[in-house]
Amino acid sequence: MYIIVVGGGRVGRGLALELQALPDHEVVVIERAGPRAAELRDELGEMVVRGDGTEVALLESVGTSRCDLLIALTDNDGHNLIACQVAKHHFGVPRTIARVDDPLNERLLRLLGVDETISAARAVMAQIEATLPEHTVVPLLPLHGSGLQIVDLHVQPDSPACGKAIRDLELPQPSLFSLIVRPDGTPHIPTGDTVLQAGDEVIAVTPEDAEPQLRALIATPDEQEPAWEPGGAP
Amino acid sequence: MNVVIMGCSRVGSAIAGRLAEAGHAVTVLDTDPYSFRRLPAGFAGRQLVGDGTRHRFLEDAGIHEAQAFLALTQGDNRNILASQIAQHIYRVPAVVTRVYDPYRAEIFGKLGLRTFSPTNVGSEMAWAALFGEGPG
Repeated sequence: MYIIVVGGGRVGRGLALELQALPDHEVVVIERAGPRAAELRDELGEMVVRGDGTEVALLESVGTSRCDLLIALTDNDGHNLIACQVAKHHFGVPRTIARVDDPLNERLLRLLGVDETISAARAVMAQIEATLPEHTVVPLLPLHGSGLQIVDLHVQPDSPACGKAIRDLELPQPSLFSLIVRPDGTPHIPTGDTVLQAGDEVIAVTPEDAEPQLRALIATPDEQEPAWEPGGAP
Repeated sequence: MNVVIMGCSRVGSAIAGRLAEAGHAVTVLDTDPYSFRRLPAGFAGRQLVGDGTRHRFLEDAGIHEAQAFLALTQGDNRNILASQIAQHIYRVPAVVTRVYDPYRAEIFGKLGLRTFSPTNVGSEMAWAALFGEGPG
């Protein structure tokens, strides 16, 4: 497999090192900045090419038309989008992946034919969310094109789902509970009869927009807000 | 018509002046307020400091109501990114993109942007000036 990596920053370098170790992979890293390209060349050797990975002539010179996968990892959404578009539409590269800085640009990139987008902001947010105990629904992985995502559900005490069999839950459709890890750490493949209990962790496939509905099912209902009167006693 | 122009370059300021004079509602976006000095005296349009590749600045510039968007910064990729946002996210009917690199101008022309390449235009004009005719 021939893989072109555009952008030799920390992510590009790390990826190139990993790909290089795989058998039957040919890898080229394109880096625009001269000093950085020289530094990478010292470490990674011939596979590093200095140049602009959005430029047709440069992409031509590294044989992009026989490339199987182009991965654009610069810190600039415009460069990444255009490298992927030129690769796909001019050179016929079958698969392109782009890193996205501004989460608002993810939709545009997919609309324009980039096969996969990677958002550092989103990944970091998901990781932080996963460590917060009050976060009951943690998105793990969007399944691009299907409108579905894989989520991690933490069933809370006294939540509506607690003590109910999965078949009796009003789940957003389509949903599939794929795996349950019980509080004692044992994993189970659930059936419709499986009864949920507090402390269960569920890995599920659900619609991308179903988070509020899922949260209502597995979160402890809010305690009654104490009444607050303007100008009342402190 | 409502026009948003990204990049108060020489070309950007000149076309902004012409469009405003012709009675169009023009908003010019540039990341550097110093660029607005190029606008003609008495320019009736709006000037806005901001990056036209970011949705929020495009919205501030009135991209939702725009009938035309022109991307005229010095950066090809910036122009192409902003133009595609205008065309595909905000559905602006007429999007014009300056792309210096003739290859990219052609590729993105095929992908639906109205691109023009000053490199091509300039070389044709230089040819005409040299030989007193169009390219042979």
